[in-house]
Amino acid sequence: MEAAHVPASWKDWFDAHGPKLLLCARLWTRSLADAEDVVQEAFVRYWRHQRDLPGDPRALLVTSVRRAALDLARRESRRALREERAAQDDAEHGVFFAPQPGDDAERRREIEAALQRLSVEQREVLVLKIWQELTFEQIGESLGIPPNTAASRYRYALGALRKELKPLCHG
Amino acid sequence: MDEPLHELEAELKALRPRDPSLRLAAHIERELAQEAPLASVRPRYTTATNLGSWQWLGWPAVAAALAVLAAVGFEMLTRRAETPAIRPEAPVVATSDPVAPAAAGLYRPVSAASVLYDLKDEGAVTLEDDQPARQARYRFVDTYTWKNPANNASVKWSVPRDEVRVVPVRFN
Repeated sequence: MEAAHVPASWKDWFDAHGPKLLLCARLWTRSLADAEDVVQEAFVRYWRHQRDLPGDPRALLVTSVRRAALDLARRESRRALREERAAQDDAEHGVFFAPQPGDDAERRREIEAALQRLSVEQREVLVLKIWQELTFEQIGESLGIPPNTAASRYRYALGALRKELKPLCHG
Repeated sequence: MDEPLHELEAELKALRPRDPSLRLAAHIERELAQEAPLASVRPRYTTATNLGSWQWLGWPAVAAALAVLAAVGFEMLTRRAETPAIRPEAPVVATSDPVAPAAAGLYRPVSAASVLYDLKDEGAVTLEDDQPARQARYRFVDTYTWKNPANNASVKWSVPRDEVRVVPVRFN
């Protein structure tokens, strides 16, 4: 697993981990703009007050992002703006993943669509495991579920994706 | 996990999450450049082990304790002056055992216990960020025991402790 030490500059840390945090935030928000808002809130709080705490900062940040996202969802006054931004974002960009040179854009969109059809419970465990690289123990702590539950949700999520996606043909 | 799932896992890992926008980095930079608001650094719960939580005792209590100590000290001095000196029949510390003086000060912790004797729900409160929360007060007696293995003397210290827990709640 990639080391998550905290460098002196917030920009270095954010360059390394920002995209993964943003992906997590997308799990619990309705638009990319909202996801960026909650990442900002969680990251600023972490950098100001929590970066000297012992332990893996990624799990702490995931918990913080999730809490900020749930708080944001409760603020009803933002709903209209949020929905407007969501439609705009999704029309302009991919939802979760960045295009890469030589990648299969259609396959990427298929995966994104299949991810969105997963249940929220399965999708959040899958994202935290694959892209945030958390252990099942850390996922359990972040989501408030036992590690075994996280592991079984992960297996079900992969199985469900497998059914939805055609196997990748190489060559 | 079977082979197709491993392949799928590898395929998913190869996807790179999209980068945050420049707008986000600019917002974070601007916010970090500002002074941290004081309210946000206040801990969400306190225990009586924090010095601050004893502030209710205040200076009057400290002054009273000092007065009692001074009175006891004065009383002891007066008695010593009035009582003729008595030569002790045996030395206070046995000099025949060279280990004893060194071991006399060796008290070792042998037990620590915390007993919850009261739990009170203090109702709903609102945190700084307007998040609703529920406050509960737990009242403990913590007891610590030290023992000196050299002479089997023991010291027991019991202290009351209040712990206020503020738990954010969600209304779905």
